[in-house]
Parts: sequence; C-alpha cells; structure tokens
Amino acid sequence: MNWRHALYLAVRSLTWYRGRAATIVLCLALTLWLPVTVRLLLNQFREDIIARAVATPLIVGARGSRIDLALHGLYFDSVSPDQTTMAEADYIQNTGFATPIPVHVQYRTQSVNHVTGVPIVGTTIEYFEFRQLGVARGLGLSMLGDCVVGCDVAARMQLGPGDCILSAPQNAFNLAGNYPLKMNVVGVLAPSHSPDDNVVFVDIKTAWIIDGIGHGHQALKDAEDGVLLEKTDTNVTASAAVLPFTEITADNIDSFHFHGDEDTFPVSAVIAQPSDRKSRTLLLGRYLTERRDFAQCVKPTEVVQDLLNIVFRVERLVWLSSLLSATVTALLLALVLSLSVRLRAVEIRTMHKLGCSRWTIAVLISTEFLMMCAAGIVVAVAGAWLASVVAADGLKSLLF
Amino acid sequence: MIEIQQLKFCYPRSSFHLHISELEIETASVSAVVGPSGSGKTTLLHLVAGILPIVSGKVLVDGTDLAALSDAERRKFRLQQVGLVFQDFELIDYLSVSDNVLLPCRIGDAVTLDSATRKRAEHLLEQSGLADHLRKPVTNLSQGEKQRVAICRALLTRPAILLADEPTGNLDPATSDQILELMLSSARENDTTVMMVTHDHSLLNRFDRVIDFEQFLTTSEPASCAEEVWE
Repeated sequence: MNWRHALYLAVRSLTWYRGRAATIVLCLALTLWLPVTVRLLLNQFREDIIARAVATPLIVGARGSRIDLALHGLYFDSVSPDQTTMAEADYIQNTGFATPIPVHVQYRTQSVNHVTGVPIVGTTIEYFEFRQLGVARGLGLSMLGDCVVGCDVAARMQLGPGDCILSAPQNAFNLAGNYPLKMNVVGVLAPSHSPDDNVVFVDIKTAWIIDGIGHGHQALKDAEDGVLLEKTDTNVTASAAVLPFTEITADNIDSFHFHGDEDTFPVSAVIAQPSDRKSRTLLLGRYLTERRDFAQCVKPTEVVQDLLNIVFRVERLVWLSSLLSATVTALLLALVLSLSVRLRAVEIRTMHKLGCSRWTIAVLISTEFLMMCAAGIVVAVAGAWLASVVAADGLKSLLF
Repeated sequence: MIEIQQLKFCYPRSSFHLHISELEIETASVSAVVGPSGSGKTTLLHLVAGILPIVSGKVLVDGTDLAALSDAERRKFRLQQVGLVFQDFELIDYLSVSDNVLLPCRIGDAVTLDSATRKRAEHLLEQSGLADHLRKPVTNLSQGEKQRVAICRALLTRPAILLADEPTGNLDPATSDQILELMLSSARENDTTVMMVTHDHSLLNRFDRVIDFEQFLTTSEPASCAEEVWE
C-alpha cells in the first residue's frame, strides 16, 4: 500500500474523529509529559547548581549544617546557618592562602509594588569581581546606605538608580527592634542568570547598620540635658529619646559609627578564593585541625553532589510512578484501540469487500495510532519545554 | 461471461448451504437475482466478486477460474474487475464525496490514482448530479445521493462486472427508479455485466434476465464449507 494514501486516510479519519483523537493524544501527552519535564527540569537544575558550586571554591562558616552553609553561601535565600564573625575572614586573610569575601545575609527588603521582599546581601567589593558582576545602569557601591539591585529585582520591583528601598524589620511586633534603613539604589546589575539577579547588594557595613550594630544619631555632646541620662568628662549616656537616623545622607554619614570590635561583627558565611590548589588544600587542612572547634570549611561541589544524590533518588520514584501510569495508559489505549476497531467494523468490512487486504487495514489503523503517538510526544515535549522555561524558577524556589 | 459450474458453499457452523449446478450469465447482460431471504443471493454475489473463497465447484469470469486465484489475486481481481453496490451504501463517513469515489485507488495497488482517475471520478459524479457536492462529507447527503456516490465508486474502475445487492432497498420508489436508471445506463455505456439482487418485482421488467433462486433451494445436497470467512 502507498504510504501517502495511508497517511491521507489516517489524517481524514483523525480529523473526523477529532474528539476521540484529541483525548488519546492528551492522555499520551500527559503520561509522557511528567517524566520528560522532571528530567528536563532536573537536568537544568543540576547544571545550574553545579555551575554555581564549581565557581565557588570554598565556603567558611560556623559549625553546623554543611548543607545550610553551602546553600546559603551560594543562594542566600535559604535557611540561615549559625553566624560566624569577621574574625574568620581576617583569619583567612592572615593565612595568605585565600582571599576572603564575607557575606552577611540576615535581612530582607520590604515589599515593593506588591512584590515580596528579597534578601539583602552585605558583602565587600571583591564579591562583584569574584562573580564578575557588572553594573548595567548607574554606579557601584560607594558609600554607606547605597545598594545595587539584581536585574530581576529591578524589573519586578520597578527600581532604578535614584530610587529608594527599605529594609524589613526582622520582627514587626518588636517595638524595641531595629529601625528599617532607607537605602539608596545607585545601580542595577547586568543579568548574570544566577541567584545574584534576585538580591539587593549592600556594603557589609550597611548590613551591620541594618543589624543594629552600627548607627548614626545627633551629636550627644551638643544634646540637651533632657535626652542624656549621664554625662561625664569621658562618657555620655543617652536616653531612648535619642533616635537613630533611618537614612544615611551626606549630612549625617559622619555620625554613623559602630560599637565594638569589627572582628566580632557577624557574617553568615565567608567565601574563600584560594590562590592555587596547594593553598586550597592547606586552608582546608587548617579547618580540619586548628579551626576545627570554631568553624568549618566546606567544598560546595561536594555538598551539592550530596544534595543532588538525594534529589535524583526522588527522581527515581518519579520515574517509577511514571512507568506505572504509562503502563495503565498503554492498557487503556489498547482498550480504546480495540473498541475503536469494533466501532469501525462496518468500515473495515466495506474496505475488505472492495479489495483491501488485512495488512492494509492494519497499516491504516496503525498509521492513525502512530500519528496520535507522534502528536502526543510532540505535545509532551513542547509542554516539558514550556514548563522548563516557565516553571524552572518556581521549582528552584521550592527547593531553596 | 460468468460461468458457474457445480458451485457448492456453506458457512462454518451454519445450516445454510448453496448449490448451483450450472449458471451462465452473458457479457454485458443485465440480470436481476430474486428469491426468498436467506436463499444465498448475497452469498452468490460475494462468491462471484471473490470476497468469499470458492471451496467446491467453479466460477469462471471471462475464462478466469476464481477458485484458482489466491487471496491476494482475488483482491486484485475485485479491485480491477468488479464494482460493488450495497443496500446500506457502505460509504466511509470521514471521507468526502470525491474521496469515497476514489477509495478503491487508495486501499490497494491494483488501481492507480492519477489525474485521469480523478477526472473520471468527477465526470461520474457530474453525471450523477453530484458535481456540487464533491468536497462535502457523505454524512450530509440524502439516501439517494449516498447511493449515487456508491454507484460512482463501483463504476470508477470501469469494471467488467457490477454486482449490486439490493441497491434500492432503502430508497423510496421515485429515488429507486432514478438510481436504477443511473446504474443500468452507466453499465450499458461500458458494456458492464450487471447482477442485481432485488426484492422489488416491479423493477424486473428493466432487466434482460431474472435469476430466481427458488431453483437452487435444496436440502438434500451436502455442501463444502469455507474454512475461513472474513467477519
């Protein structure tokens, strides 16, 4: 039989019985869509997470969950690990094995234009060089209170240079808590297709000011006695009537100061960028010996690999359930096919009477079935691709 | 010429049996086949068309012994030499009027679908008054129009034999008359041998010959059964 004729008759039949054909195509597509989508998303997820981990040599932080520390250092928006201090960054600097890049993520911004607040990442200028982050619009960080926003944040919150954004208090019901800080948006980062697109960057000192470690207020030496509790030659104690500034401006920036030793100031993680392989090994050795009781140094690639092993174990379950649903669908399709052949018995008998062979009739029905299978596969793959484009970020946000 | 000699047939697990000792039908003749229901009229048409295998006896069509043909050869013979018209029209719902007429070309290699065949299909449909319905689905046609499409399909390949099984059985008298006229005039144009089963005795005067199946009814002769019949 001529395949052109078989295709023609199959197309005519499928068009005529389009409701039935569409149902079968949809069933097939849905059965195939789930495993294909899971595979696509997991592959994409694996590539993204491994690329970020590979680009981050070592992460140092307080002892505790290595997964929390690694994910926090890589993605910011995860469960906060126990905090370490700037002393750890100094320690790494003093070893000479690596360049430390402190990262402090404790607060989020307030919602803007109905968009939920995003993490505020306090870090140093080295972070931008390390991640090769460029400013697309405006300028980089130059003074306390400045912030640069990731491109996705800028797009969603409709922010640009010259705008302001407020930090969110950690607990809205704590009246004695830290005041929100009004930050000036000075720049928008170029897209990096990484978690850096979804955060607001500030200098680490600005992060400490948000944390309440640093603050600015009116000069107490000139203050009226009503706002002072005690005044001696060496010390002045102010009452709660002295309010800290909630915005850092050129006029008040000089009044901002930090209480305590910078070594004790908190950081949530320190990214260590070793100068070479040997330095990396030596630094790891230090954290396995003399710093063992105070901190930990994790290799993000190892942690991510452990995490992926768990994720891909879950994937096997998805595959198993997909296999079961595929079996059920195949059985149902076989039933539908046999019922369809019965319903078309008159048509088949007519074709036979006219001179059509059984083989030709089988070819005609098989062509229809194969076309429906092909359509199902196309719909499933298109759906999976669409899901990978649309839902990838949503899935990642579910995981982190 | 169609020659039937000592033809015996019965269906598996059935008490029905057919026995025709001798029957000759002249080329280009127009014969009506009459007889009581269940006497084997349709079976005879199916045997002459090569739809049913000949187990015992001979059916010769222009000298070709159908019993000697393989299943594939019988199908080819059917596509090239036989036109079939059924009481229930047996058109394919999902095909248009012209596609139904061209169906014999699409279901086998015996007939080629070329521009000449397409033109013939259009010509036949035009003759049948269906020129405006070429692209319409057959489900939108009246009973009479459907039977005209079926006749066009049967005549597409210029068959040597036209076998019609009660083609007017589902039609009103006026439409019956039109359909019969169309079929017989088309057959005469092409020197086609026509065998038409009918229960309508008012139509018999339009035929050259009437084959009455009463003469073949017997209960004494055992018949050879076909081992396999397509159902």
